[in-house]
Amino acid sequence: MLAATNLRKTYRRNADQVKVLQGLSLDVHAGEFLSVVGASGSGKSTLLHLLGTLDVPDEGTITLNGRRIDNVSSRERDELRNTVFGYIFQFYHLLPEFNTLDNVLMPAYISNSLVKWFATRREWRKRAEAMLERVGLSHRLTHRPRELSGGEMQRAAVARALLCRPQILMADEPTGNLDAEIGADIVRLLRELNRDDGITIVMVTHNLDIAATTDRVLRMTHGKLNTDAPAAFTRPKLAAV
Amino acid sequence: MYKFLLCFKYLRTRYLAFVCIVSVMLGVATLIVVNSVMSGFSYKLQNRLHGILSDVMIETDRADGLPGPPDAIVARVLASPVGKYVEATSPTVEVMALLQFQVRSRLTGERFSITKHVRMIGVEPARHAKVGKFLEYLQRQKDGGEASFALTPDALGRFDFNRDFGGWEPRDANAATKLLDFPTVRIPQVPPVDAPPGMFLPALAVPDRASSPPPLVPAAGPPRVPGVFIGHAIAHHTWKDPVTGVSETINLLREGDEVFLATVGATGVKPVASTFAVADYFRCEMSEYDNTFAYVALGELQSMRGMGNRVNTVQIKLIPSAAGDHELVHKTIIPELQKLFGREEAINVVSWQQHQGALLEAIDIERGILNLLLFMIVGVSGFSILAIFTMIVSEKYRDIGVLKSLGASSRGVMSIFVSYGLMLGVVGCGLGTLLGLGITVYINEIEGFLTLVTKQQIFDRGVYYFDKIPTNIETTTVVLVNVGALSTSVLFSVLPAFRAARLHPVNALRFE
Ligand SMILES: Nc1ncnc2c1ncn2[C@@H]1O[C@H](COP(=O)(O)OP(=O)(O)OP(=O)(O)O)[C@@H](O)[C@H]1O
Ligand SMILES: [Mg+2]
Repeated sequence: MLAATNLRKTYRRNADQVKVLQGLSLDVHAGEFLSVVGASGSGKSTLLHLLGTLDVPDEGTITLNGRRIDNVSSRERDELRNTVFGYIFQFYHLLPEFNTLDNVLMPAYISNSLVKWFATRREWRKRAEAMLERVGLSHRLTHRPRELSGGEMQRAAVARALLCRPQILMADEPTGNLDAEIGADIVRLLRELNRDDGITIVMVTHNLDIAATTDRVLRMTHGKLNTDAPAAFTRPKLAAV
Repeated sequence: MYKFLLCFKYLRTRYLAFVCIVSVMLGVATLIVVNSVMSGFSYKLQNRLHGILSDVMIETDRADGLPGPPDAIVARVLASPVGKYVEATSPTVEVMALLQFQVRSRLTGERFSITKHVRMIGVEPARHAKVGKFLEYLQRQKDGGEASFALTPDALGRFDFNRDFGGWEPRDANAATKLLDFPTVRIPQVPPVDAPPGMFLPALAVPDRASSPPPLVPAAGPPRVPGVFIGHAIAHHTWKDPVTGVSETINLLREGDEVFLATVGATGVKPVASTFAVADYFRCEMSEYDNTFAYVALGELQSMRGMGNRVNTVQIKLIPSAAGDHELVHKTIIPELQKLFGREEAINVVSWQQHQGALLEAIDIERGILNLLLFMIVGVSGFSILAIFTMIVSEKYRDIGVLKSLGASSRGVMSIFVSYGLMLGVVGCGLGTLLGLGITVYINEIEGFLTLVTKQQIFDRGVYYFDKIPTNIETTTVVLVNVGALSTSVLFSVLPAFRAARLHPVNALRFE
């Protein structure tokens, strides 16, 4: 579904060069829950950003359902991020001025013009409330992010990422800032979404236990990926989570 | 949609933004107030300058005046191609003159003369009233009928009463005894202890004719009394007590009081002089004119100067449609009239604007420079917007990245900040316009209050030509000021907005 071939990305600061990705190839299958592990600084976040059109590779191609998305116009990329990809981050990245509901509605605010928004706002609101219900936050609609716990913020972030019904969810260390129990809750939530809604998930994590619960684990070394563990190995663990 | 949302959010949650609003507001308010006052000043000044001058003047510096009788000149004008634009004409004689009158010290009872230089203008009052605002400026006659140099019965009585004492010197001697017959006008021989020094009384006070007997020696037949309209400021002395700071206006000349006017004749440097009785005060509220004008009957001045029926100025009032057409007046009417009379006879044809050109131009230049300087206030507010926006962009660095990860475009992010600037500008301009208009409307009350608080006269009526601060709110100026301030706000927010738009989301998202 989402395929990357021979990706290269190098950061340059004056004379220094940081070769982050060096000919990385990856195939994400529709409906799978994929995790990427690797040492800090190995380029996991960079990979997610490239896959999700937040950044462009120096070399290589990325295709979505057979269509190239790495070289399209910035307008199309903006639209892809709005409708096809959903992002969740380690630090939640909710907007501090807005309450939970508005944060969740933000993608809709972005995609709709003023007129269109007023025509469809009821629908969106219903959908946002349903999303928040789904992630178990329906009692926190009017709270500001700073009034929420880390787990709640991450749930709100998941709801926000899902508002526009994306095909692929990019999760960059979604449990990195949470304790084991809450982190497991979040992963359980992601697993539910993956199973019930068929959302493809690419998750970066440091936690090998959590990675082990996913369908496929890829390890990142030297700017390339190699399969870490067979899916069969990870399957049984799922029941335990 | 999110642009408006974020814009409003940042407006409501960033108190720093109010600094921008306040600075835009102050800039706009200052510009509006200053322009309104300057424009009021210039408008009122023009109005008054025009009030004492007709639209166009045919004038000469020749001592013996324009060649030929004024009727012939007017006839020539009317017969010319520009005759159809003429509404009214008034022949006048204008000369420099010396004015003298007697007063008596309230303190010592001593009599002395006051001498002033004046502009002595001979007019046919009823006719002259038709070319300008002459009649409006006559304090007694402005509300009724035709202007005339005739004295009121009261003024005549006062004149007769003064005359009965027999001229300047003997009158002095008689005054004490005569005054006893008129208890209401008795002047205390012993000065009141609280009377400040240096204050004057009129030479003699007006008798109360209703309650007093008629003059003891009635004049044989009505005396020939040429009247004069004297500048209001000549007849009124404002004296400010240096200790208490209280100022008092003392009437030096009443209607019927005698004044002495001296000038030169039409041929040679021959001094001529005559006596007039005050018939009315002339007050156009331009202290310069109120201090120097003395209108007398045209025939009086002509015969005094021995210039026959000649005049040195013919004032022409144009029909309103022509008078308002600056182009027509200066490009057609004036050259046409100039052609009619030629240059060789030292005749000049000028419009009232040309007559007062230097003064009007000075105001315009002053206003231009002031505007330039004051727009710097708006410039300062522009820089505060720049600084504060740069701060907000830095502070919102991460949020901008988040918005982009959710699909916001660079243009959208840019327009958040540009419309944020626009919004600050709109709010600032709105408040500034309200404030500016408020100050302008109540400027005299504000000035009065400040004077009360600081005990310093801020707007010195003596220095300026007006007794109130004049204002004139011009819609175009208000609009221009607002447009200027708005575009400054937008312009200065573009740079930080551009920086925000260029921001790479990946760098913003990497950290907490
Ligand atoms: N803008 C940049 N300029 C220079 N170097 C950069 C830039 N962004 C990332 N890097 C470098 O690229 C490398 C990969 O970064 P990246 O964030 O993808 O790593 P990561 O695997 O996500 O690490 P972590 O597990 O700590 O999140 C790092 O060494 C980082 O220093
Ligand atoms: Mg990372």
